[in-house]
Amino acid sequence: MATLQGLEIRQSSAGLRGTHTGIRNVPTVSKYIDTTICIGCKACEVACQQWNDLPLAKTEQVGTYQTMPETQPNYWNLIKFREVEPVEGFAWLMRKDQCMHCADPGCLAACPAPGAIVQYQNGIVDVNPEQCIGCGLCESGCPFDIPRYTAGSNKMAKCTLCVDRVEVGLEPACVKACPTGCLQFGEKSALLEMAAHRVGQLHADGFKNASTYDPPGVGGTGVITILKHGDHPEWYGLPKDPHVPTAIGFWKKILHPIGFVAMAGAVFATVAHYMSVGPKQPPESSRNGDDV
Amino acid sequence: MSELVPGASHLSGPNIMDAARYQEDAVVGDEIVRHKLSARFIHWAVALFFVGALFTGLPVWSPVFAWMGAFFGGLQVCRWLHAWLGVAFTVASVAMFLQWFRQMTFDATDRGFSVAKYMNSGSVQEEPEVGRYNGGQKFFFWAVGLGALALLLSGTVLWWPTTFPIPLRWVAIILHDIAFIAFFAAIVGHIYLGTAAEPGTFHSMTRGTVTKAWARMHHPRWYREVTGAKSKATVTELGKKS
Repeated sequence: MATLQGLEIRQSSAGLRGTHTGIRNVPTVSKYIDTTICIGCKACEVACQQWNDLPLAKTEQVGTYQTMPETQPNYWNLIKFREVEPVEGFAWLMRKDQCMHCADPGCLAACPAPGAIVQYQNGIVDVNPEQCIGCGLCESGCPFDIPRYTAGSNKMAKCTLCVDRVEVGLEPACVKACPTGCLQFGEKSALLEMAAHRVGQLHADGFKNASTYDPPGVGGTGVITILKHGDHPEWYGLPKDPHVPTAIGFWKKILHPIGFVAMAGAVFATVAHYMSVGPKQPPESSRNGDDV
Repeated sequence: MSELVPGASHLSGPNIMDAARYQEDAVVGDEIVRHKLSARFIHWAVALFFVGALFTGLPVWSPVFAWMGAFFGGLQVCRWLHAWLGVAFTVASVAMFLQWFRQMTFDATDRGFSVAKYMNSGSVQEEPEVGRYNGGQKFFFWAVGLGALALLLSGTVLWWPTTFPIPLRWVAIILHDIAFIAFFAAIVGHIYLGTAAEPGTFHSMTRGTVTKAWARMHHPRWYREVTGAKSKATVTELGKKS
C-alpha cells in the first residue's frame, strides 16, 4: 500500500485524487519480456510464489508443459505454452501471462471502491485489499483477463510487479530468477530502446513481423513483450488491440453524469412544480391539521 | 363488525380503525378505507427495502456518495448488504404485485391519461370515469414491476463475480444503472405526489383512509362505487361485496 511504502499515487479507483505533488520526476518502470529467448523453465513462476509468500498451487495437466490452465488468485505468473502452425513451418510459443500494468488500467476504471486499485507514479498498478470490497467489477474492466476474485476472502489479487521490491530498488522476483535474461526490468524508456534493438536483430534474422507488444489502446503497458510473430499477438493469447471496454467507459463517463442530472432533476422538478402549480387540494376536508 | 356504525363521526375512533384494518372500500362517516392494513404493510416493506438498497447501493455506485457507506459499516458491508436487501425488496415487490395487479388493468379512461395535463390541472376533479386508480398510477405500477425485474436480473449477474461471462456482466452493469436511475426519478415523483402534491393521499398509506372529498376529486368513479352513487352504502353491504 502506497502510504506505507512511500510511493506516490498517480491515479486511484473511484475518483480519489492522487497524492503526488507533481514536483518530483518519477520515471515509469517496466518489465521487459523477450519471448524469443524464453526456454519455458518456469523459474519465474517459482520465484513469484516464493517472494509473494503464495502457497504451493496444484498443477493441472493441460496437454502442454503449462503448469495450469489459467492464473489463479494465488498464482499470478504463468508461462503459457502454445503450438501454432503459421503458413509455413511450426511455432512453439511461450508467453509470460501476468498483469500488464497498463498506463490506462481498465480494472482501475471499473473499480467502485476508492483507493482499492491504485496506479503509482512509477506506473505499477496495485490492489489494496483493505479497500477492496470484492465486487469483482475489475474483472469486467480488464482486457487481459488478469484480476482474480478470491472466494473466501472476497478480495481481488494479481501481480504487483513486486512493488515492495521495486520500491527499495530491487527488480521483481521473476526477473531476478530468469536464467536466460529474457526478463529485464528498468525504466520503460530504456527498455523500449533495448526492445527496438532486439526487434531489429529479429528482422535481420528473417522474422519480418517481429515487434514489441506495447498496445496503445491501453496507453501502453508496464510489461512490454517482444513477439517474433508480432503481427499475430493472438497466437500468444494476447489481444490484438486491447482497450478499456466500451461498456465501462460508457458506464462511468456517460451514464454516471446522466444519472446525477436525472436524480437531481427529479428533485428540482418536484420543488418547481410545488411552487408553480401547487398541490391538488380537495374542496373541503373534515380533517383539520391532519391532512397529509 | 357490528360496531361499524355508518355515519360515525370520527376519523380515528375505534370504528374507522377497525374497518381500515380489513375492509377496503368501507365507508365510515366522512372517511373511506382505501388501503387495508396488509396492503399498507406490504407497501412500506417495499419502501423500506428500496431505501435500504438505495442507500447501500449509492456509495458503491459513486464515490460522491461514499460517505453513506459509513452508516452501514463501510463499503465492504454495503457490498453484501445491498444484495440481500435486493432479495428482500424482490420478495416484498412480488407480494405487492400479487396484491394489486388485478386492479391495475388499463381501461379506455386510463388510455386518455396525460401526465402533463394531470400535473398542470390544479385542484380540479378528475375525469368522471377515473376509478380506484388513474392511468398514471397504473402505468407507474407496471413500470415499477418492470424496473424491479430489471434490477433483479442484472443484480443477480453482478452478485457472483466469477459465475457469468464478462460481456453479460457489462450488460448487467449498464442495465442495473439505467434501471436504478429511472427508479430513483420515479420514486421522487411518487413521494411528491403522495405527500406535498396531493394533501390527503399520504393518510391513505398510513392509517388507511381518505376523505370523501378526496375520493370525489381524485377518483370520482371509485367514489360513486363505494358510496353507492349519491346514497351512502352501509358497511354490511360493502362487507358482502368484498
